[in-house]
Amino acid sequence: MLEVRNLQKQFGGLTAVKDVSLTVPQGKIIGLIGPNGSGKSTLINVVSGIYPATSGAVWFKGDDITHLSPHQSFELGLGRGFQDASLFFQMTVLDNTLIPVKKQRGERPWLAPWWRSWLGEEKQNANRADEVLQQVLLRDHINKPAADLSGGQMKLLELARTFMGEPDMLLLDEPTAGVAPTLAYNIFEQIRLMRDQFGMTFLIVEHRLGILFDFVDWLYVMHMGEILAEGTPDEIMANERVRDVYFGD
Amino acid sequence: MTFDVVTTGIALLTYFGIFSLMAISLNLEYGLAGVPNFGKALFVSIGAYTAGVTYTRLLPIIAGHTPLNPCGETLGQALQLRSEIMQGQPVAGFVNFGITLVIAALIGGVVGYGLSYITLRLKEEWFLALVLLVGGEILRITVRGYSPIICASNGVAAVAQPFSFFDDVRTASVAYMLLVLVLALMAYIYAERLTRSPFGRLLKAIRESDRVAQSLGKDAARVRAQVMMIGSAMAAVAGVLFAVNIGFVSTNDYVVALTLDVWVMIVLGGMANHRGALLGVFIITVLDRATAVVAVQLSMSDISIEFNYVRFILFGVILLLMLRFRPQGILPEKPQTTQVADGFARTS
Repeated sequence: MLEVRNLQKQFGGLTAVKDVSLTVPQGKIIGLIGPNGSGKSTLINVVSGIYPATSGAVWFKGDDITHLSPHQSFELGLGRGFQDASLFFQMTVLDNTLIPVKKQRGERPWLAPWWRSWLGEEKQNANRADEVLQQVLLRDHINKPAADLSGGQMKLLELARTFMGEPDMLLLDEPTAGVAPTLAYNIFEQIRLMRDQFGMTFLIVEHRLGILFDFVDWLYVMHMGEILAEGTPDEIMANERVRDVYFGD
Repeated sequence: MTFDVVTTGIALLTYFGIFSLMAISLNLEYGLAGVPNFGKALFVSIGAYTAGVTYTRLLPIIAGHTPLNPCGETLGQALQLRSEIMQGQPVAGFVNFGITLVIAALIGGVVGYGLSYITLRLKEEWFLALVLLVGGEILRITVRGYSPIICASNGVAAVAQPFSFFDDVRTASVAYMLLVLVLALMAYIYAERLTRSPFGRLLKAIRESDRVAQSLGKDAARVRAQVMMIGSAMAAVAGVLFAVNIGFVSTNDYVVALTLDVWVMIVLGGMANHRGALLGVFIITVLDRATAVVAVQLSMSDISIEFNYVRFILFGVILLLMLRFRPQGILPEKPQTTQVADGFARTS
């Protein structure tokens, strides 16, 4: 599904990502872990097109997407979530959920003033959003401003919103940051449900290793901008070099 | 000097209509999409200069005459010919006025789209703000020094409004006021429908975070350029109405202060709320007219105060107070956008 080949990202003299190669097969949940500053978020930002790569390549579903912008990658089916809850806070939960729907007639400026041309489509989209929000237990908040939700609900809304764009794969940067442990578990259960029901693929950066290890199929460990190790959660836990990086000698 | 309430009222409502177009256009651009258009005067002036060109070149042709050079030795004859056509051939006057509006909207829209799309792809939106601010001044100085457009710094007179064929001046003014108000109402309805559509929702999303909107598949630069095209076309139409209302096209009217007046209107009334923008236009237009009347009254008496400057102080104080105590404006933005939300409110 996703293949990163010898990717490098430099900011001036600083090399944040060094010759990273990794593979994410379809329908898998892959974890990307490592200490703070190891280059995980930078890697996600380069893969999703927010930062241009210095060298190397990113392939998605057989297409070279190295130089595509984030909206072009999204069109191809590669979505992403952000570390901070990146909602449109002044908009309602429903409006937030409707934003990523692709090819909306009402988003064309020449059709937008003629409500009849898109209202039927909007109702269908809203019905789908309603189902998705019910899935993540946010249906009762559908017409509230997103700013009124709790931190955990915001993360769930972000997940539901990205799902509305029907991506084949999601890059998630700390989807449980700042969320209570029970809700964090719930978020990962939703991720697994999306994988099982819709065959979606995930690459997840996460610091809560206890929860992450229960859900991922494979892990990559980054350190100092490089891939230090890869393997199943059990293999990673047994890896001495990984232990050294996390806990010191 | 006697104070004519009716004439003042007609002038006030006409200005209200013209500035409503400008404020609604800025509200779409900045209030909804977060594009800081500091070049409103640029797009308004495009409309005015278009009127200057069509009234001197196109109008005589439509009326079956040979156009005369409006600037040189034939200035007087050309001016007289325009006046005669506008008073004696109303159909030609209306056709020319209509064509002027269309050409101005097209030029304004194309310039708005082109400048913003190129600029927004290079840098963030505040770079565009500077480009537009400077662009307005560059165009103004160029037109002021380049004779073929509106006779350079002399400007073009007798750019009469299309109802000037009426013998009674007041009837003509009322008719033009109504035309302007109808156009402003159409702009308001259009903007309101646009705002409450998925396109309006998209603009708000891009305003809140273009980074997130892009990660959700939205081409922020293109969408912002689209709204700039709509807003700039609207501002250019306002420019035609403005020039035709005063009957004169001069570069002196399209300075940065015009842009700032429109900003004060939407900051005061409420950004991303078109009713708020109209309220802001009304308050500022009344204040503007009131200070102008007081200035005239004072100049007629022995009091030696240049009251016109009070207007600038007043607008500056209003801007500061609003930004400090009520940045959302008198009528703030409503959070709900989608038209189908009510159905869900009932079922949830």
